[in-house]
Amino acid sequence: MSKRKRVTGLVIWLCIVLALLVCGLLFGGTAVEKESIKEVMRDAVLHESNKISLFGIKDVNPALISAYTVTAVVLVIAACIRIFVIPKFRYVPGKFQLLLEQMVGYFDNLAKSNSPHRNGFLGAYVFAAGVYIFIGTLFELFGVQCVTTKGMPIALPAPLSDINAAISLGCLSYLVILSGGIAGNGLRGVGSTLKDFSLPISMSFRLFGALLSGLLVTELVYYYIQLSFILPVVVGILFTLLHALIQTYVLTMLTALFYGEVSEPHEKKKKIKNRH
Amino acid sequence: MNIPLNIDWQQILLHLFNFVILAGGLYFLLYKPVKDFMDQRIAYYQGLEKEAADKIEQAKAQEQEYKNRLESVDLEANRKKEQAARDAEKTAKMIIDDANKQKEQILEQAQKQAEHEKEKILQDAKEEIVGLAMAATVKMLHGEAVSHE
Repeated sequence: MSKRKRVTGLVIWLCIVLALLVCGLLFGGTAVEKESIKEVMRDAVLHESNKISLFGIKDVNPALISAYTVTAVVLVIAACIRIFVIPKFRYVPGKFQLLLEQMVGYFDNLAKSNSPHRNGFLGAYVFAAGVYIFIGTLFELFGVQCVTTKGMPIALPAPLSDINAAISLGCLSYLVILSGGIAGNGLRGVGSTLKDFSLPISMSFRLFGALLSGLLVTELVYYYIQLSFILPVVVGILFTLLHALIQTYVLTMLTALFYGEVSEPHEKKKKIKNRH
Repeated sequence: MNIPLNIDWQQILLHLFNFVILAGGLYFLLYKPVKDFMDQRIAYYQGLEKEAADKIEQAKAQEQEYKNRLESVDLEANRKKEQAARDAEKTAKMIIDDANKQKEQILEQAQKQAEHEKEKILQDAKEEIVGLAMAATVKMLHGEAVSHE
């Protein structure tokens, strides 16, 4: 690219940025001003006022719609990969095949290394949970718009920023760990799983708290028009991308770790007979 | 009952329903096929590795066999060499014995011949002496006869 073209591109980009800034300052959203920051924050945590109708059956939190959207998108992409990409797999992989193999291999190895005795089901579970958390968290970056039951537009949040989604995933992970305990050690496994009775709560609220904090900071930044320039790039990366990675790692690692612990077969203590 | 934090059991179940569908779909569409392919590739390369190991093993066995064969050939060669040396020694001894016998025979024959010749010479000498004596006698007798006349 020549120097002149580069300078022209830079000038155009600066003009666009300035135009957006001026437009933003002149036509600051009036709809947002109807809600105070306190109400926005409270609603982000509790979802009391902004509900979305689920096919007219029930009014639900926006995160449930996000969850269904994420599932639909992920399954469609997975089906496309299954139909068009996987049959063309080669023994010497290309870039995309390598990416898929790395994803599957990472979760498979995570399951195998943490639970060497029983890991078939665990690998599949942590893979699904990892993909759900990662893509679900990144989903809020797209800002998919929806209309609430009150007719207000709302950007769909990350599914797991809703307490109900976090509780469901935390409890399901605990049930998976419990199933590993039963499969590996029977009643003893149940006992060792129930010993960590605080696990579902800690898992759920860790997930909820981490993702909610990202959501709150994003809401805060977008609430004030003055903060809506440049800063969202940093905030988006820090509180979304890193959360996606960290929370995926934390939940899958904890699940695999506890699963491996409770499913590890206990050696029966042999009674030493006294020969005297 | 109003649960704090707006927790809704129905929505928790709906989230669970959603996740179970996602997990099942991902397992059948992505996780299992990719894992199967990876396992298949591992099996393929393990097969190649095993094949290579078998070939190396086979080559080693063949090398050992050839070594053994070479050793046995060496042993055989040495044995034959020793046998040949023994045969040569035996033959040489036989030749020497024959030569000695022949020598003895020649010597004996030469001795016999020499004795025979000696005897012949002696005989001839005797005959000559007798002849000479006869001739001398005749000559003497003839001289006496001449003188008597």
